[in-house]
Amino acid sequence: MRWLKLDPITQKRIDRFRGIKRGYYSLILLGIAMVLSIFAPYLAESRALLVWYDGRPYLPTFEYYDMDSFGQEPPLAWGMGDLETEYLRLQREWRAERYFYDRERAEVGDDPAALAALDEKFPNRRNYVVMPPIPWNPYESDFWYNEVLNEIQAVLDEGAEERAEMMARRDGLDELADAIHTGRIHGLLDDVDASPTGDLLGLARSGAMPSLERLGEVPPTPPDFGRRHYLGTDSQGRDVASRLFYGFRISIFFALFLVLFGQLLGTIVGSLQGYLGGRFDILSQRVLEVLIAIPFLYVVIIMAALFAPTFWMLLAIMAVFQWISITFYMRTEMYREKTREYCLAAKSYGASHLRIIFRHLLPNCLTPLVTFTPFAIVGAVFALTGLDYLGYGMPPPTPSWGELIDQALMPENRDKLWLTLAPFGAITVTLVLVVFIGESVREAFDPKRYARYE
Amino acid sequence: MKTLTPIGVVLGLLILTGALATPIVPWVARSSGSEEANASSVTPSVEEHADPSGVTTSLDPGTDEPEPLPDDVVSLPEDILWETNYDDPPIGSSDAVRGGTFNYSIGQYPMTFRLMGPNSNDAFAGWNRAFTMSFGLVSRHPVTDNYIPRVATHWSVQEDQRTIYFQIDPDAEWSDGNPITASDFVFTWRMMRSEHIVDPFYNNYAEQFYESVDRIDDHTLRIVGTRPSWRPLSDYGGLWPTPEHATELDENWVSRTNNQHQIAVGPYVVSSVSRGESVTLERLDEWWGDGNHYFQGMYNFDRIHLRVVPIERNLDYLRRGELDLVVENNARAWNEDYIFPAVQNGWIRRARVFVDTPSGVYGLHMNLEAPIFQNRDFRRAMHHLFNFDRLNRNLMFDEYFRQVSFFEGTEYANPEIQPREFNPARAKEYLERAGYRRPEHIRGRNVAQNVGNALRGLLFTRSDTDDVLVNERGEKASFTVIYGSPGLTRHLTVMQQEYRRAGVDMRLRLLEPGTAFERGLERKYEMTVTGRTAGFYPSPRQYLHTDFKEAVNNNNIWGFGTSEVDELIEVYEENLDFDARLRAMHRIDEIVHEEAFYIPFWRAPFIWLAHWDYLRFPDFYLPRRTQQVTDYMVYWIDPERREALTEAMRTGEAFPVEEDLDVDYYGIREVVDQEPGVGP
Repeated sequence: MRWLKLDPITQKRIDRFRGIKRGYYSLILLGIAMVLSIFAPYLAESRALLVWYDGRPYLPTFEYYDMDSFGQEPPLAWGMGDLETEYLRLQREWRAERYFYDRERAEVGDDPAALAALDEKFPNRRNYVVMPPIPWNPYESDFWYNEVLNEIQAVLDEGAEERAEMMARRDGLDELADAIHTGRIHGLLDDVDASPTGDLLGLARSGAMPSLERLGEVPPTPPDFGRRHYLGTDSQGRDVASRLFYGFRISIFFALFLVLFGQLLGTIVGSLQGYLGGRFDILSQRVLEVLIAIPFLYVVIIMAALFAPTFWMLLAIMAVFQWISITFYMRTEMYREKTREYCLAAKSYGASHLRIIFRHLLPNCLTPLVTFTPFAIVGAVFALTGLDYLGYGMPPPTPSWGELIDQALMPENRDKLWLTLAPFGAITVTLVLVVFIGESVREAFDPKRYARYE
Repeated sequence: MKTLTPIGVVLGLLILTGALATPIVPWVARSSGSEEANASSVTPSVEEHADPSGVTTSLDPGTDEPEPLPDDVVSLPEDILWETNYDDPPIGSSDAVRGGTFNYSIGQYPMTFRLMGPNSNDAFAGWNRAFTMSFGLVSRHPVTDNYIPRVATHWSVQEDQRTIYFQIDPDAEWSDGNPITASDFVFTWRMMRSEHIVDPFYNNYAEQFYESVDRIDDHTLRIVGTRPSWRPLSDYGGLWPTPEHATELDENWVSRTNNQHQIAVGPYVVSSVSRGESVTLERLDEWWGDGNHYFQGMYNFDRIHLRVVPIERNLDYLRRGELDLVVENNARAWNEDYIFPAVQNGWIRRARVFVDTPSGVYGLHMNLEAPIFQNRDFRRAMHHLFNFDRLNRNLMFDEYFRQVSFFEGTEYANPEIQPREFNPARAKEYLERAGYRRPEHIRGRNVAQNVGNALRGLLFTRSDTDDVLVNERGEKASFTVIYGSPGLTRHLTVMQQEYRRAGVDMRLRLLEPGTAFERGLERKYEMTVTGRTAGFYPSPRQYLHTDFKEAVNNNNIWGFGTSEVDELIEVYEENLDFDARLRAMHRIDEIVHEEAFYIPFWRAPFIWLAHWDYLRFPDFYLPRRTQQVTDYMVYWIDPERREALTEAMRTGEAFPVEEDLDVDYYGIREVVDQEPGVGP
């Protein structure tokens, strides 16, 4: 920290803060989470990080590749390849291809001609896809649970059993894939007990094939590691983990920007009020009183009703109101400090007003700032979540915690525990971390322990 | 000038807030026992009864007291031909049994028992209309659609198609025993025009519809409408009587009558209330209408106990036996919440009853004044990207039916029209024809570009709008959808993702419902979701006529109008030949489909019911034209089954349960269940 000259007292405060483990680790954890969230598009995204295709790397995060680029079959209902590749499906398809290759390889033996034919048949077995840890973006609906059996059924009805098996294998429905491979599936479908309706959906409903039991369900679906929905899906099939992560990114940066701006402006105005005093103080105080009397939530709600709120608009509206409270504290601090001898000394040396304020007085007035800032962050996160919950926050489909909480609290979703636990858990953990940090900072800066004037 | 009555706005809000997990049910306010009541009170300027100049109608001030008409001016024509109709079957069932108390729920405690004046269009209004106060002269039979006598026994429509004579049932009397006379109808008209009722809607309505209402003698009445109509009985025959002998119309009328108990013309009268909790209606022992052939099997309960229950708690109250019947309006609840012992044992029965009612205009609308939607190919592409089946399967439990026609649910809907199927390849063709293609730059064309992209990518990933289609002028295929119903967000965001994959950037803007509704009227939108209710007769003029193309603030929210459609509307409005009207309307429907500025959403042509076993329904369950389950009370309580149920619940014995919940007595499902076609 050579570039930042710290006086010994500040150094002591920092050391003391680091000594309070709870706060220190909370800061590290939160810091890591924030840094990670900056890289959210690399961590929770449906576009692959890397596709290795025919001996060449592709980076879909930065480039658009349609389905034809990798020879991917378009989704059944679409029937055209002018779409962005579905990378997660591609990954699973290529993995299934490797499975089939290995299976047939074992049957073929060492005959070079047959091997060459196999190579031809499974050209993608050497290709691979690297997906982000959460392979879902926060917007896409995954209706796989409800749709996959219909799709496989349609392919089966066409008589394309190999393709049907591939689809089942691709999606990890091994029991079904084996049944199709061995031909057992026809017996099952014809059996009224196993499938009362004579189709795959009936098979899933009757429980004759236990691994299909969760299929035929509409969202919200519970957590499923196989499908890589680590926290389940929400009421329109979007990945909760992904939305939670992006929601964190938005709320925490919203809070940071807001608090940074608010505390900065508040400190400047408050310091000037306290330092200059007199008429400026009296007049500006009256203006602030008017401002603070405006009920901020109503203003936001009215604005949100008239204009579609955006990140920056919400930030601006809230910033207008957020900076005021800190001015009062800074003002009093300044009033107290400016009468002290060191200030008079600086004055007598001919220091300029700005220099006195920012070099000499401000460092001694930091306690309220440091103490209140963490709680201001908590407040800002809460405010944004609350606005989203009420429907006055970011426009849909922006991922947000408030929107998730809103879904979780709908009567029909009350038994969907993952929907409730995820956002509440996230909010609790984040706020607890921030509060821990705040407490430790306050303790470290406690003026009773160290006073600059002694 | 007023652009919309408050009721109109409320109606709009209701339409907009009609969350889509729920069917677009006919909301409380429009429930009514008869088509006439409907026309008279609920679908005001927004719909059906807007005058030819659109929803903007001026209210003449100073319509305080109408000038008295001398009695001797009005007399019957010499050669009058009286008509009546007692030939249609009764509305109810002959199996019905009188007696018992029916427990049902209302969403909120009535703010007033008045039929006119402030707050009179609240949740209780439907009950008022159907059972107590608002019994019109004639109504339509809910199955055959013929006019049937109600308070009038005979009627005679004159050649001018706006003068009608009525003979009032001589037996008709008020619940206080006084006879109902022609003066009571004249009084209603006078009251409607009075300033004392503080009800601009009725002021306006009386102004627009009735030129005069005159008493000829105690039991003979003449009504003259403001303009000729090919459905004069519908337009003018819904007038109901008001007890003149018990009404004092002055400036205190509103406050004085707020909670005044009613003197009713119908079979029920409010007998007791528990403020904020419940309202009890008592059946008149000797009601004049008991002799009316059509009312057989209706109004079976001795007492109707309406309890204030929040909608989401209805099921709990049903389970506890505190309600006899509930109407479900949430697809998820219908599919997931009715799995409990009483249902599995057949003690509580369920049914999805198909009904045949107009469903109005509801869906995505494109503003023809917005540059992006001026291209018809582009609009058609939007249709082919609407994947109704996917939404229905995954978000709505596959319960809903796709709307197709502009006049859906009326006899004028063109059966030839098929909805455009979900077909992205076709959409792509249309988009290309409209000049929209994937941009070139989404993939780097040379090494330098790729390196640049990769470097940029180190800091920023690819922008989410990179692959949106553009036309030659570099304009993106991007537009904003304005909507006011938070319940629709689920559906729209799923659609948004699908459009996005096809390269169309649909942005969503959820506004406060009233704002969104007004944006539609003012045509300040690119695409919007909004709905309009429909009456029994469609009214294409206010939607599609060129008169409203130039002006804003009307129901022609698209800014559509062609001379061909204008002519067809004239035919529909004026031609007395049904076939000519039908041809004209089919052609209009076709044009709307071809022009593709409206993507119809879905409808729920059914009512979801759950009731205790002792509440019995006729085999047809509800008459064909039922909008709300309480419109036609054809069900009854069977005391024997009630005992059997008590016994069964004590012993735990199960009743046989029917697997198939659908009741489709009139074959409505076949009509609404259409396969999508390729379409033009």
